[in-house]
Amino acid sequence: MWFPRKKFLIGFFGGFLAPFGIPLINLLRAKRRVKNYLRPPGALEESQFLSACIGCAQCANVCPNDCIRFYGLEKGLAYLGTPYIDARAKGCILCMACNQVCPTGALVPLPKTEQGMLMVKMGKAHVLKDYCYSYAGRTCGVCYKACPLPGKAMTLGLYETPIVHKEYCVGCGLCEQACVHMPQAIRVTPSYLL
Amino acid sequence: MTPRKLGIRLMIVSVVTRLGVLLLLLFLSWLPTYINFKIGYNSARLVELSDGKLIGLLYRITDFFYSLFPNPVSVAQSSGGMTWSIRVFGVPFTDPIAFLSVLVKHHSLALGFALGVVIPVLIAFLLGRVFCAYICPASLVFFVTSRVRNFLLKYLYLPNFSLPRSFAYGILVSGLVLAIWIGHSVWGFLLPYLTVGKSIFMGMTAGVLSFSMISFVLFILLDVFAGKQFTCRYVCPTGRLLGDIGRKSRVQIQRNKNACIQKCHACEEVCPMGIRPKQDETVDCSLCGECMVICPTECLDIKVLLLGKETS
Repeated sequence: MWFPRKKFLIGFFGGFLAPFGIPLINLLRAKRRVKNYLRPPGALEESQFLSACIGCAQCANVCPNDCIRFYGLEKGLAYLGTPYIDARAKGCILCMACNQVCPTGALVPLPKTEQGMLMVKMGKAHVLKDYCYSYAGRTCGVCYKACPLPGKAMTLGLYETPIVHKEYCVGCGLCEQACVHMPQAIRVTPSYLL
Repeated sequence: MTPRKLGIRLMIVSVVTRLGVLLLLLFLSWLPTYINFKIGYNSARLVELSDGKLIGLLYRITDFFYSLFPNPVSVAQSSGGMTWSIRVFGVPFTDPIAFLSVLVKHHSLALGFALGVVIPVLIAFLLGRVFCAYICPASLVFFVTSRVRNFLLKYLYLPNFSLPRSFAYGILVSGLVLAIWIGHSVWGFLLPYLTVGKSIFMGMTAGVLSFSMISFVLFILLDVFAGKQFTCRYVCPTGRLLGDIGRKSRVQIQRNKNACIQKCHACEEVCPMGIRPKQDETVDCSLCGECMVICPTECLDIKVLLLGKETS
């Protein structure tokens, strides 16, 4: 061969071993309770999403609602730099801008219609009846007014009690954002935990 | 134009383009806030609150720029991303490393992502390693640190280590293994330009320091204390890859053998990529023009090969 082979191999293995210090960065993780946030609309199934997402932040760049945030080290290196939506801070308005621009196909493009909205699987909402004002007889109905699919994903009972229909609920998180009770009486569970 | 003037001009252009890339990254990090102010929920109130503050001024300038287009919001949404997957007015650019990483981990590529790699590879194939001197925002920082190192060398001894060229290939393979094992986020600690991009984006949008700053500080320390332009020469896998893609580039540094002084090694000492123009080495040349400026006899010049023909 034309190159000095011993030097080549030593250099190659030196370079190969050097980046194995990176997993040690996991030790810098803050020891606090891990929150599970929603993925943006159109996300692949969680393990597939993690293998496709390169953390290029193009989804956050186009989001008109400014609701896409990025994981730090709280869930480890595998999650570092991947996008999430914190429903309690700001829910997703299902404008489908982020999944149109995702370069690697980690977010599958969906049509900007009601059909497209119903194809989103971010999570499912559920009501904690003990907390909810309406279930305690004090008419509220804020979550119903926030729901982008009223009548389908959510209907109202007596005293505007919210009734979530899980087969239509897409988990956008607008109800959790809107809920006036603290702590929130309606919550969205991410689909990868269901 | 004499080679020295051309070299000075190339250096000025390289600094200006890299500053432009830095400004572009800052601008793209500001864009989500602009789009939120433009069409977000209760946007009129947000604009009203920002009035008279710096953010309001930024909004007005950006809005003036985008109002020149017929459809401001969709034009604003057509740009985005950071250094390793970026769209500028709808044209995608993909880092070859990101391409490889997604290929080995996800086993499938989206069309725009795969096509985005064409322009960078074509540029590297025709012009050599010009990415390093004209686009890479991290190399602007290393451009400064190499001057700092030169200043420190007047007062104290600093070592100048060299590593085999295969070191960066080792890092490339190891990064791919770690990407399969952990995730694509490991590249944020291995690629200098990505550490800059991530730090700028996280700082601008979330107001937090990115963890990539750890390795960026390490790169700067290596550059100052381990060797001249250590990161660009031996650590960065992208530079190594582009340098070898551009092995037979069409634009090269040419030496006039008659004018070259036998005992002079100025070009070898000044070259940021550690190549020897004196021995007619042109692999890894990033066309930064530093050797053309330093050469006392102006015997180095840029030649353009067009289908085998030589023109200077």
